Amino acid sequence: MPERLLLTGNHAAAYGAMLSRAEVISAYPITPQTMIVELLSELTASGKLDATFITVESEHSAMAACVGASAAGARTYTATSGQGLALMHEMLHWAVGARLPVVLTNVSRAMAPGWSIWADQTDILSQRDVGWMMLFAESVQEAQDFIIWSYRVAEQVHLPAMVGMDAFILSHTAEPLIVHDQSAVDAYLPKFEPIYALDPEDPRAYGGLVNRDHYFELRYKIFEAMDRAGELLVAAGEEFGEVLGRRYAPLEGYLLDDAEYVIVSAGALTSNVRQAVRDARARGIKVGLLRLVAFRPFPVAAMRRILAGRRKVAVLDRNMGPGHSGIFAAEVRSALFGSSSAPEVFDYVVGLGGRDVRVETILEVLDDLITRDDPEMALFVGVKGLPIGPIRKEAEVLR
Amino acid sequence: MRWAVPEAEFVDPGTLGCQGCGGALSMRLVLKEVGDDAIAVLPACCWSIIDGPWPTHALRIPVFHTAFETAAVVAAGIKAAKRRQGRDTTVIAWAGDGGTFDIGLQALSGAAERNEDILYVCYDNEAYMNTGIQRSSATPRGTWTTTTPDENPEPRIKKDIMGIIAAHRIPYAATATAAYPEDLARKVRTAMEARGGMRFLHILAACPPGWKVAADQAIEVMRRAVRSRVFPLYEVRDGRHYTITYRPEPVLPIEEYLGLQGRFAPFGADPALVAAARREVDDRWAWLEEQHERSLQPATT
Amino acid sequence: MTPLDHVDDYPEIPVSLGSTRAAIKTGDWRSVRPVEVDRTAPCAFACPAGVDVPRYLDLIRLGRLDEALAVFAERNPFPRITGRVCPHSCEDGCNLAAATGDDPVAIRSIERWLGDATAQIPLPQPFEATRRRVAVVGSGPAGLAAAYYLRRSGHRVTVYERRPIAGGMLRHAIPEYRLPSAVVDAEIARLVDMGIEFVTGVELGRDFHLDELAPEHSAVFLATGACRARPVGITGEHLLDSGLEFLETAGLDLSIGRGMRCAVIGGGNTALDVARVVRRLGGEVTVLYRRTAEEMPAIREEYHHAVADGVVFEWLTLPRSVEKGEAGLVVTVEEMRLGKPDGSGRRRPEPTGRVRQLIFDRVFSAVGETADSTPFPANLKNAEGWLEVGPGGATADEMVHAGGDLVTGPATVVAAIAAGREAARLIDRRLGFSDRWASMPHQPVVGPDEVNPSYRSSARRTSDPKARTVDPLGEETLTVAAEAVLVELERCLSCGHCNACGTCFVLCPDGAIRWEEDGPVIDLEFCKGCGICVVECPGRALVLVNEREGPSFDGTSGASSDGRTSGRHGNGEAVLSKGGQVNA
Repeated sequence: MPERLLLTGNHAAAYGAMLSRAEVISAYPITPQTMIVELLSELTASGKLDATFITVESEHSAMAACVGASAAGARTYTATSGQGLALMHEMLHWAVGARLPVVLTNVSRAMAPGWSIWADQTDILSQRDVGWMMLFAESVQEAQDFIIWSYRVAEQVHLPAMVGMDAFILSHTAEPLIVHDQSAVDAYLPKFEPIYALDPEDPRAYGGLVNRDHYFELRYKIFEAMDRAGELLVAAGEEFGEVLGRRYAPLEGYLLDDAEYVIVSAGALTSNVRQAVRDARARGIKVGLLRLVAFRPFPVAAMRRILAGRRKVAVLDRNMGPGHSGIFAAEVRSALFGSSSAPEVFDYVVGLGGRDVRVETILEVLDDLITRDDPEMALFVGVKGLPIGPIRKEAEVLR
Repeated sequence: MRWAVPEAEFVDPGTLGCQGCGGALSMRLVLKEVGDDAIAVLPACCWSIIDGPWPTHALRIPVFHTAFETAAVVAAGIKAAKRRQGRDTTVIAWAGDGGTFDIGLQALSGAAERNEDILYVCYDNEAYMNTGIQRSSATPRGTWTTTTPDENPEPRIKKDIMGIIAAHRIPYAATATAAYPEDLARKVRTAMEARGGMRFLHILAACPPGWKVAADQAIEVMRRAVRSRVFPLYEVRDGRHYTITYRPEPVLPIEEYLGLQGRFAPFGADPALVAAARREVDDRWAWLEEQHERSLQPATT
Repeated sequence: MTPLDHVDDYPEIPVSLGSTRAAIKTGDWRSVRPVEVDRTAPCAFACPAGVDVPRYLDLIRLGRLDEALAVFAERNPFPRITGRVCPHSCEDGCNLAAATGDDPVAIRSIERWLGDATAQIPLPQPFEATRRRVAVVGSGPAGLAAAYYLRRSGHRVTVYERRPIAGGMLRHAIPEYRLPSAVVDAEIARLVDMGIEFVTGVELGRDFHLDELAPEHSAVFLATGACRARPVGITGEHLLDSGLEFLETAGLDLSIGRGMRCAVIGGGNTALDVARVVRRLGGEVTVLYRRTAEEMPAIREEYHHAVADGVVFEWLTLPRSVEKGEAGLVVTVEEMRLGKPDGSGRRRPEPTGRVRQLIFDRVFSAVGETADSTPFPANLKNAEGWLEVGPGGATADEMVHAGGDLVTGPATVVAAIAAGREAARLIDRRLGFSDRWASMPHQPVVGPDEVNPSYRSSARRTSDPKARTVDPLGEETLTVAAEAVLVELERCLSCGHCNACGTCFVLCPDGAIRWEEDGPVIDLEFCKGCGICVVECPGRALVLVNEREGPSFDGTSGASSDGRTSGRHGNGEAVLSKGGQVNA
């Protein structure tokens, strides 16, 4: 029978790995992720989880250990955050190139310097182009469930997947969690059976020197696999509902039916957006929420369909994209580009380094959205001494 | 065949090593003892190339090509997975000096400290040869490389990797070279018998283009390294118990090792370098003899 | 491997699809090619008989003793004999010694062991019978060797010996402690078993004449030796005993007792043999020699043995007269000094005028032996009355050949065997048969700078163990044990001959040398031509051949697909004799 517990996002992630029967786990401590590996260590030590836990000396090595174990046919898991994910970067590429369905949880934290352990999605979004599937959890439940969902798809397409969870807002916040029945998860997520695993009886070289005759085709296959992952995420999300009682999809809409204004967000921030939408609706504003659950593969077609004909769209970006807009906005604009009925996309950069993004803040954003004509590249919300608005031009700064 | 070296081959021909490649030979000889229930992890190094271009490869065991700094930990990951599958497959991390002394040292230290059940082999050609002869921390003092040109040859002594490894107290570590194939084979066998923990082999591997020696002198130069005591052959058990496995007799003057190699041209210009090198070699040997002697004594505690 | 022409041909997981073996032929990289080739070893070259030492040593190591004996017998049918008495110039040529300063391989000890170990095995038997008859006069080493090779060629052979028993100098001049007559008997018995006929007690010039042989024999080989003692040429010559006669009857000579003072005049092998026999019989003995140890013609080893036996040497001592005195025979000697080199290259002794007297009980003369030419017809002799002999033992008479000490004067057993063999070859050819015998080892010889002794055995050279015997004339040494032979064989670098040591196979970086049942095979499809196998080969049985300029073995210009090119696997001699550039 499923169990109902009150747990933090971090502990939920550990439960997600356990329910997925991760076999080899390798991780390195970093705030605010540490609780995940602590709990996994306990679960492994107590025998509740039959896994091998490799306590490596760096995140780079954590990912390398996962890459090795995955290549040898084991289901592997790791968790990290911020600097750790950045350090893993090279091996994130490796997992993709070697087509290894490693799953990791990234507790998103701001990048140093200066040191900041607080919520900020720049870390994970900086890994946009490595070729990992990327899901953003909004709740403790999703912090657990998305790991299971990820494995299901990742192992079918031989691509790795990472689940993003916001620092503290989710990682350290306790919420009720349904811990699924293990047999139900087993029914949903079969044993990992890779096309090839390192095996002395079938001695092949994994990777190696690939010259110009072959590299492109091998990479093309990654594009195809990621494309397939888009469809499989939908199917596997539906099936999750059938087997485990909660249905997931790459995009989630809220009060969208008649919405003229749509706020797009990802991650834990979305919960406050949900409240703001309800509050605004009470004031008669036709606003809805579109939550980006899957960032990679990006649900381009669904987004174009959903946002077609809306009056304006606000994207909340808790991340850095200096020289351009926030990263989510750039992606949304890109997805909508060329559509004749596409709305203008307004990018609101909010809450960098874990600064609170309150319901009121979002309502201010909504007011700005309704009144502003020029979307500019990006609009900054809550910078001390400045109203919501674009980057100041040199002349303004000098004055 | 009068060599106590197995006839079986686990490297197919068609490898892309340069003529006279000591690294290619070292792999051949090591695998002869390891056998085919093994998986090799190759970080960036000459062997990334030697194993052949995709879609071919030369080793008759599976290979996982990995990032420069990750040989030890990827091997550990593979070993963990194989053990979970109930297989006692030998996992070999096979890295050059760059991937061991330099960029791979952190992961190596981690694996050694955790006493991972892997066989780590460093084939040491004393510089970054695959990128075209740049100095590494394994480059001996006085050596020419493209980043330590004749006017400013390598200023520092070679890093004592065996000392670093011994400090991790792993069950077995040894130096070897293909010029002494039976010694090498025996050490691989010993390493195989010490399975359960980390095994480390430091193999000196001549690089004819990088060392500026004729290809046919590759074995000779490795032999001279041993006979001049520049590269002593010894083993270390549990990081403490040293055994010198070969005592050259007579000892070759170091000049005969240096003089064979164009990379040591700076020694010709600076006799002080030769004297310093001789002193280093003598000191190191004396220290090894002390350790050897000490290891023969019954434990006092 | 499927061709990767379409993206769908590619695997989902980027793993390799096949071996480099099929796809990458690194033989293309090569500009020089290693070629396994049989080359002349210095030991074989130094051997007067040209015995192919590395090859028979290899066969012993492989336990193929009958083949080892056959290889040996190609050049010398009597390893039991030469294994005991040969001055082993082969060992003087040994590259191991020249390259390292180690002692040379104890080839003679191995040879002796081979001879003894194969004593019961018949020698390689005659080829098809030819119905030709050949007469051999004299049954010393030259006669016996010629008889063997002629018989091996299929001819019927009769050996005529003046003494009642065959063996010549082997039996009568070499003391028993060096060469037991039982060994000589056994070797002759093997020849009898092959169908060689021995007629003893008949002497040329007394019982028959050369022209009497003509009707029954197609050819004659004369090997009557040098058995006439040269006189010392001093006053009191009649007081001297013949050393040669003493040796022939030594076992029966009971006159020499403990403490008897003897002298031997001379410095050759006969002199030393006499001296050592005297020591064995209990006498004191002094060798009087007009030059010094440097110039002594005796086998050096025998000199060392003589010293060890307690033989006293008086150098630069020339006897001038012998007379009977009260205390014994008074020998007046003159002290000599060494002057300029003479025709033999040795420094000539010159008188100093200083004389002294020495007293002995018996004095033996042993200043050399000469041939007896009286039985030979004049047309075969030169102005000085000696037989005139050309290459291969040819004389003025097409039918008559000669060799051994008869031609050379006192020399070694092995030289006599070589002469007998070469004469047999010439006779065989003259009888109309194509040359069935390998030619003598030729240059170039593998030099000490070409061998690689790096991995040589650390074992010390073996030697024939001293025998413990109550018989004073019994054989003084034993044949080495088989175990010692095996250890000694490992010391041999096997110059110029692949003995499948495996060094090239072990040290090939590219796995381009396959190991097959009988040794290495270079796989030219993959050999990159690094040359390691060539320089590491202990005996340099491999050479590098320039791909462009050198000869190829299959008659084409490119690399053959198989490295079976030589020595162990074929006749590589062709390579060197073709005159292509050999870049070894």
